[in-house]
Parts: sequence; C-alpha cells; structure tokens
Amino acid sequence: MSLWVDMYRPRALDDLHYHQGLSARLKSLAASGDFPHMLFYGPSGAGKKTRITCTLRQLFGPGVEKLKIDQRVFLSPSKRKIEVNIVQSNFHIEITPSEAGNYDRVVIQELLKEIAQTQQVDLNAKQRFKVVIINEADSLSRDAQAALRRTMEKYMSNMRIILCANSTSRLIAPIKSRCLLMRVAAPDNTEMQTVLTHVSRRAGFDLPPDAAQEIIQDSGGNLRKAILVLEALKMQSPDLSGPLTIAKPDWETYCQKVANLIVTEQTPARVMEIRTKFYELLSHCIPPTVILKTVAEAVVSQVDETLKAEIMHWAAFYEVRMRIGSKKIYHLEAWVVKVMSLYKQSFYQFDISEFE
Amino acid sequence: MDVDTSHKTRRKPTATSGNATRNLGRTTSTTPHASGSNLKDITVLTGTGDPNCLAGLAFVFTGELRGLSRGEAVDLVARYGGRVTAGPSGKTDYVVLGDNVNPSKLAALERHGLKTLDEAGFLALVAARKGQGAGRVDDRTSQKLGKQAEAAQTAARKMDRREEKAAMEQGCASASASASAGTAPKGPDPSAQLWTTRYAPQSLKEICGNKSQIELLQQWLRDWPASLSAGFKKPGKSGMNIFRAVLITGPPGIGKTTSAHLVARLAGYTPVELNASDARSKKLVESSVNVSNASLGAYMAGGAEKDGVKLKDRTVLIMDEVDGMSAGDRGGVVALNAIIKKSKVPIICIANDRGAQKLKPLVANTFSLPFQRPQANMIRSRIMTIAFKEKMAVPANVIDQLVASAQADIRQVLNMLAVWRLSSDRMGFDEGKALGKMNAKYTIMTPFEITHKMLGPALFAPTARETLGDKMELYFQDFSLMPLFIQENYLKTEPSLLRNYDGPMRVLKELELMDKAASSISDGDLVDALIHGPEQHWALMPLHAVCATVRPASFLYGPGLLYHGPRAVSFPQWLGQNSKQTKLTRQLGDIQIRMRLRVSGDRAEMRQTYIPALFPHIVQPLMVVGASAVQEVIEKMDEYYLTKEDWDAIVELGVDDRKDVAVLKKISAATKTALTRKYNSSSHPIAFHKATELGKVPKKLPGGPAPDLEDAFDVDEVAEDASDDENPGKDADDFSKDKLIKASKKKPAAKKGKTKARVTKAKKG
Repeated sequence: MSLWVDMYRPRALDDLHYHQGLSARLKSLAASGDFPHMLFYGPSGAGKKTRITCTLRQLFGPGVEKLKIDQRVFLSPSKRKIEVNIVQSNFHIEITPSEAGNYDRVVIQELLKEIAQTQQVDLNAKQRFKVVIINEADSLSRDAQAALRRTMEKYMSNMRIILCANSTSRLIAPIKSRCLLMRVAAPDNTEMQTVLTHVSRRAGFDLPPDAAQEIIQDSGGNLRKAILVLEALKMQSPDLSGPLTIAKPDWETYCQKVANLIVTEQTPARVMEIRTKFYELLSHCIPPTVILKTVAEAVVSQVDETLKAEIMHWAAFYEVRMRIGSKKIYHLEAWVVKVMSLYKQSFYQFDISEFE
Repeated sequence: MDVDTSHKTRRKPTATSGNATRNLGRTTSTTPHASGSNLKDITVLTGTGDPNCLAGLAFVFTGELRGLSRGEAVDLVARYGGRVTAGPSGKTDYVVLGDNVNPSKLAALERHGLKTLDEAGFLALVAARKGQGAGRVDDRTSQKLGKQAEAAQTAARKMDRREEKAAMEQGCASASASASAGTAPKGPDPSAQLWTTRYAPQSLKEICGNKSQIELLQQWLRDWPASLSAGFKKPGKSGMNIFRAVLITGPPGIGKTTSAHLVARLAGYTPVELNASDARSKKLVESSVNVSNASLGAYMAGGAEKDGVKLKDRTVLIMDEVDGMSAGDRGGVVALNAIIKKSKVPIICIANDRGAQKLKPLVANTFSLPFQRPQANMIRSRIMTIAFKEKMAVPANVIDQLVASAQADIRQVLNMLAVWRLSSDRMGFDEGKALGKMNAKYTIMTPFEITHKMLGPALFAPTARETLGDKMELYFQDFSLMPLFIQENYLKTEPSLLRNYDGPMRVLKELELMDKAASSISDGDLVDALIHGPEQHWALMPLHAVCATVRPASFLYGPGLLYHGPRAVSFPQWLGQNSKQTKLTRQLGDIQIRMRLRVSGDRAEMRQTYIPALFPHIVQPLMVVGASAVQEVIEKMDEYYLTKEDWDAIVELGVDDRKDVAVLKKISAATKTALTRKYNSSSHPIAFHKATELGKVPKKLPGGPAPDLEDAFDVDEVAEDASDDENPGKDADDFSKDKLIKASKKKPAAKKGKTKARVTKAKKG
C-alpha cells in the first residue's frame, strides 16, 4: 500500500480540487493543438507536478502514465562519469539537469538535441510533438539556461518544453518570455480542507474539523506535507480526537535546537557548537536556505519585537550571499554571529557602532 | 656552580633596580601611547652600543614589547653578543618584560629571583653597558670567548699539519708512481678545492651533531659480517642487525653523505657511491650493482694505487639521493629494494624526505636512521676553525646568524663564507644578516604553522613589521587550504584587541569583532566563487587573500591558539563534511529516482517531507516491534521500489533523534539480520537498472566554450529581433546548419570586443 498522498493523487484535470480556472485553461490549451512551452511555478506541495501529469494525460491519453526510468551516463571532458536519470513514456521525457551539477549545460544540449531530432514514431499519437519536462529549472545554471533558449525555438515543431520551478526569480528573462507562465499557488485553507476531507473519505473515515485545522496550520500551504501528516496522525491515534501533537520532522526540531543555542548564549564557543550542528544539517541534505529560514523563524519567535525586523533583514542578506557563494556554512555562520551581536546589544541596550 | 652563585649575589643590587624598572613598566602600561620615544631609541641604538656589550648574557623575552618587534629585540641581543632563550632557566640573566605578561609567569619569575627589565631598561642596558672587562661576569665570558678562539686555532693548526702530511704522502706516492710509470696524476691542490671538500670532516669528532645516529651506523657496519653469517636473524642491541641496509634521511647539508663515507672508511670498508648523476634504472641498478665480494674502491681511486692497495672484500654501497630516482630511473627503487633483500654487502641509502611516497618500498627493508639538523653551537666552533684557517674575522654571533638563516645547512654556510672571502676577510653583523637573507631558503610552512602565525599575537601587533604583502604571502603558501583553516580556527583565539575592555563592553566588542571577521569570511567566499566559478577571475586572488585570511585574522588575532586540547588548530571540517554531503546527496538522488514512479517530489522535498513520513513505516516498526515487523517493512519498501541500500541511506539521512547511530542502536542485531536475510531471499520489483550495472558505454560530452553570458542580462527592454542567430563559436554544427547566419556576417564591425557583445545583445533576446 502506498502512502495516501500517492494513492489518492488526482490523475485527470477534471479530478483536481482547486485552481479550477487553471485546470480549465490547461484543458483548452491541450485541446487547441497549439500547445506552447510552459513554465509551472509555485511552492512545493502546491500541485505543480500533479497538474503537469494531468495535462500530459489530457494531451496524449493514459499512455503517458506508463513510465519507464532510464539512466544515462555521460563522460565529462575531465573523464568524470555523470549519471543522469531520465523518466520517460512514449510521449514525454522528464529530466532533472541539476543532477549533472556543473555540466548541466552540456547534458541538456545533448539530450534535447537527441529528442528533438527524432519525430514522434507513434502514428496514432494525438500530438505530433513530444514533451520534455525539466525539473528543478530554477537550479539550472546560467549557462544551461542560455543554452536552452535557442533550442526552445529551433525545435518547436518536434518538441514542447515544460519547466517546473519553485520560483521564477532565478530564471533568465529570455526563458520566461518564451514560456507560458503557469503559477500554481499554494492552496488556501478551505481548499486544503476540501482535499483533506476528500482523502479521508477515500481512506474510509471522517476527519474532525479541528484535526483538519491543526494539520492545515502546521503544513503551511504544503498539501503534500498535510496529507502525509494526516496519515501519520491517523497511525498514531486512529480516532483523531482530542489534542493532537503533530510531530515535527527531525531536521525541523534540530533547527529549533540551533535557534535555542543562539538565544541562550553568545560566545565564540557557542558559535563553534552551532557550526557543527549546521554541518550536520547540511551534510544530511537539508538545503542551506531551508536551514536559514527555519532557524531565523525560530529565533525571531523568541526575541524582542524590535529585533525581529533586523534579524530577518540579515537572514535575507546572507541568503543572497549563500546563493552567490559556494561554501554555504560561511554565510550561515556569519549570520549567526550577526544575530548574536544584535541580540547582545539589545540585551545591554547598547549600540556599539557609536563607540569606536 | 660556585661561580654562578657568587655572581648572583654580586648582582643583587641591580636586581632590585630591575624590579623598580619593572614597576615603572607596569605604570606606563596603563597609559597606552608611551612607546613613541622608544622607537627613536632603537634607530639610535642599532648604531651605538659597545660591540659585544651583551656577551655572555642570556635573555628571555616575554609579553609584547611596545617599541621593538620581537624579531628586532632578538636581533639586538644577537648583535651585541648575547643570546636569547625561549624560556627562563637558572642561567638566564635578564628577563625582559613586555605588556600583558601572564601573571602566573610573573609570579614564577619572582619566585626564582630572576632579574627583570622593562623595554626601556633593556635599551638602556644596551646603551650603557661596556664590553668585555667591566666585571667578573664579563671576565668569565671573555675567558670563554678566548677559549673558543683558542680551540679554533688549535683545530686549525691540526688541520694544517694534516694537510701537510697528506701533501707529503701524495708527493711520495706520485714520486714513486712517476718513477715507475713516468707520468703521474698529481693530487688536487687543496687551495683549489671547494671549501666543502677541503674542510670535509676527516674524523668522527669533526662531524657536527647526530652523534648517536653515527654511533649506531658504526656499530651496524662493524657487526655486518657477523650479521650476514647469522642470516640477519639476531637483532642485536639496537635491533639494527636484522637489516642489510640503512636508510639515512634528513634535510640537505647536514652531513649525511659525509658521515656515511667516513663511517664506512673508518670501519675498514671501501665506499662505492651511486648518486643521482648516475643513471639508476631498474636494469642498470641490477647490472651495475653486482658487487658481492670484489672491492671497486681500488679501481675507482685511479691507477696510482692499482698495485699498492690490497683488494679487500669489504665494500659498502652508498646509494645517495635515493629520492632523486625518478623519471628516467623507472623502477629503480624497486630494483634497489630487490637488491637489498639479497645483498652480500652493506648498503646505505640516503634520502631527504623519509615520508616520500617513492621510498615506501624501502621502508620495510631498511633500518631508518633520521638525521637531525645540528644545533647552532655545534656548527659554530667548526666554522670558526675554518674561518680562522682562512684568515677571516667572523664573530661568533655572525656565524650564528648565518647558520640560522641557512637552517643549519653546513654546506651552504661554507659556500657563503667562501664566496664572501673572495671580496673581504671580515664580516660584520649586518653584512652577515644581509648575506643570510640573500641566501635564505624559501621554506614552505604547513597550514597549521601558517594558521598559528596568522591568528597568533605577533603578526598584527602594533610593533609587527610585516607589510600587507607579507601577510598575503602566507595565504599564497597554500591558497586552497588557508581560507578553510582560518575559518575553522578564527574563533579559538583570545583577541588582543579586547585587552582594554571589561564587563559588558568586552562582550559586545568581542561579538563585534567576530561579526566583522565572519562577514569578511563571507565576502571571501563570494570572491572565491568568482575565482573558481565559470568566470575564473584568477586575478582576484589577492582580494581573496585579504578577505578570507588577512582581514578576519586582523580582528581576532591574539594568544590562545594552542597545539593540543580544544583550542588547538584543527583541520578544517569542511572538507570531510562536504564529501559526506556529496555522498548523501547522491544516495538521496538514488532514492528519489526509484520512488519517482510513485512520487512526484524533487530531492529536497524527498528529504524534507517524505523521509520523515516514511520513517514510521519502514524504520520505526523495526525499532519498536522487532523482527516480526520485517515482512510489513519489506512490503512497504517494495511499494516504493526501495532496495536495502536505500533503506540504509534513509537511516543515514536522519538527524537529531533520528540520527543513524541512535536509530541503529535501537534495532536489535537479530532484527537487522532478519531484514537482510528476508530481503535477499525474496524477489523485488525494480524501478530500473543503473546504467553502470548494465555496462553502458558513457557518452562523451563536448568540452566546448561556455556561451557568452553577457546577452543574458537585461534583455527585456530590447525588442525581439526576427534575425535571431546563434552566438558564433558557441555551437559549431548549429552554425553551419543555420540559414540565418548570414545576418550576422553583414556586420563585420560586430566581431570584436565590447561592440560585439553589445550587438549580439541587441539582436538576441
């Protein structure tokens, strides 16, 4: 038995519970025969991928659900092997170029050219083109994006590209201008409530509204998370009544601990202690921006009103630097030291910058 | 001992005055800018002061001086014939106190009744004290100096006699040879030889330092025939007698080759030397070193001794510069090793670096005999003798200076002196210093040493004389590691800049300094990204040096960095953590792609929501229920196409209370084996096979240049042009296919430099 989130995933555009306008537009686009390149963007757990698959189904029929995974190995000029996983059906192909790291440009060029040069073989196919889905498009390097822009126009007859990203801010303008932008916003509370109720009905029980509210609060607009939490809660207490304690994921409690460390003591030794904790999180594949955001929010909830804006300002400041730079820990640590300094200054009601 | 106590009592009054000056020093230390006058003093003082006025005195410096840097102070003492020791002892005459001396250290000094001076007192001492003959201490010193000179003279005379004798013998030999053969090769005139050959030690007593090593070598060589007949089974007293060969290692110029030759000759062996000037490939080594019983010595010494010397069956093979067996000498070391294993003659191998990868094969089959750099005083007397013999006036302190600058490389010191002798027969302190500096070896410091230096109290102290360039030079010693080292260790110091602060101000100031340092390190990373990123702006390295190393250190420098314990300089964690991150990311990618058939999330989503959600289904049952939950767990894993390796990875990806160690501890060994056995015994759905498992041939990626990125910025305002063309040179095959390429050829002016970028930018979009 799969988890509910996967078992009850809608498979057709008509089954989707929210953003009906978007669904209707996708449906008419699929019917028009003039299907553009598209860019789906929105937060995780909003339903981007679900919508993409539904659209594909609308375009090509149920055949797109026959997935097959293939792994391609490329040899970089420096003789390093790069493995790239490809998920494909007869009608579409899905790649995650960020797997290739620095070589995403060459990998993307190579793959796209290959796909674009062959026409649709299946004569019964509804469409003449194939679809390429590019995941994590916002982590494409600038080079790769530049390589993509020309290809998008040149091979239009054979291929459509669907980009899937969390935000458009790191995509270059030429790419954005070549795509139809599809914003998949996070569902609001009532929408989530509907979905949760639907899931629980399919799973065969009634969801008490209180529990639903609790879960929605906790999930912060991430529907995937909400459904996973619902299932976990159902496992814990089958009747879902009474006060519910939603267990936070391991990394989130760890970030919380880091925040407590920052607030309780401000010394070099403490910074080094926090450094090892950051290393632990980073090496266990928690993205640095997520760490910074989670810790910053936890710190902010524990400090004076006056400090909140400042702390968030510096968090944003160092987040940008993290994205530009290469060693994330340096910026995380710089932020921690900054926060400690601010915290101590407010503790002593003192602005040190006047003393030089 | 008697003399010692007497002069101590005699100097009691000065001791009190020393105390007085120290108190004075303390009061001045509260006023921060009292050092201006001192600075003037130095410049005056370096010229004045009686030569040798500090002769025989031992100084210890502690704390931070205000006017002089530590190096200058040490120089000053050396210039006037005194010596500086690292720590105080009974022989210390004066302890010069700077600022911020550890109070416990002060108390210890007081307890031992050592005389202390402050900086001004020290300078006054240098200015006022008269050289030899102004008191008993100086008498003693002058006696000592005299004795030293005398020893040098007698040694020189001995050397003269020996040379004469050798010349005479040679004369006789050549006479007899000329009588018999008519022509005779005359031995080289000693005065035409290099000093290093001419003054090479002739007896063991003349070798500087490494006495115990030489004794070991001698003993081993003496025992060799016995060891051979015993089949190298009896280790002997030193444990050396089970080896057929010895590996002498040590820095250049400390007499390794000389000692080997000398020891061999004194033990009655004929040394046969093969060094880097001989080709020593595998084949050549095997063929040429077929020495077993015949002595080549007589043959090599030339025709003169052909019939005069009895052929002895005692030869020792000296393989000099073994680590120089490279490039052309393929397989040389291995062949040598093979020879060592069955050699019938003793073999002495000589190399510089014991840890070298190349010497690995030798390590097991040879006795390792590391030679150390001899102490300055061991070399001093020998050099003085030679200087005397060459009629040069070189004071002892100048020799010390030369020895220090050459890092106890006797050969280099001799060569320096020999060259100097051509122009002058005396050498002053400053001349010696300049000469030493000119010939100074470029030493590579380890990152640990550099970190100590960078974050230590001296480099950024107000009296430090290093320029920004000097500080940046430290970064360039190892520019890939130094930023990591500084980042790892910059918080371990007790910043000197906090000295004048107290209470809350101190806390705030410390955090401010930390903040400045940390943000500078963050700047440094941005610069690093420009250097190592696609742009490759290597010209930014000096900026990186400043941002990543010099600037952070300039805020937090100070004492406190130790050599062991929690505040020791540690190796950067980043490297290990980064490779761990790479490994886990790859494993996470594997998990994600396997689960892809069921799940839509990307890798980050997989780690952040799915793994915590899957944990209660595939790991927790094993922790709580045990072996009976195995079946259920495996079903769940199959549902998501997860393998046992993926299960391990999921456990490894946990943090906090789901950290792999904590989790695995809660799963009993029986459950673990049950899981493995059960999993292996059943068949499972597989999402796909890894390409590597199928032996797919990887496709080569083209290396080609990256596209010009300039056109990627601010394109919005430019109108889309219909004649959109490929960036020339970016993609050769597209180039030929593209019909629209003519559009760009119409604008030949757009080919070069900035204009090109502009135009392409305008046309692209």
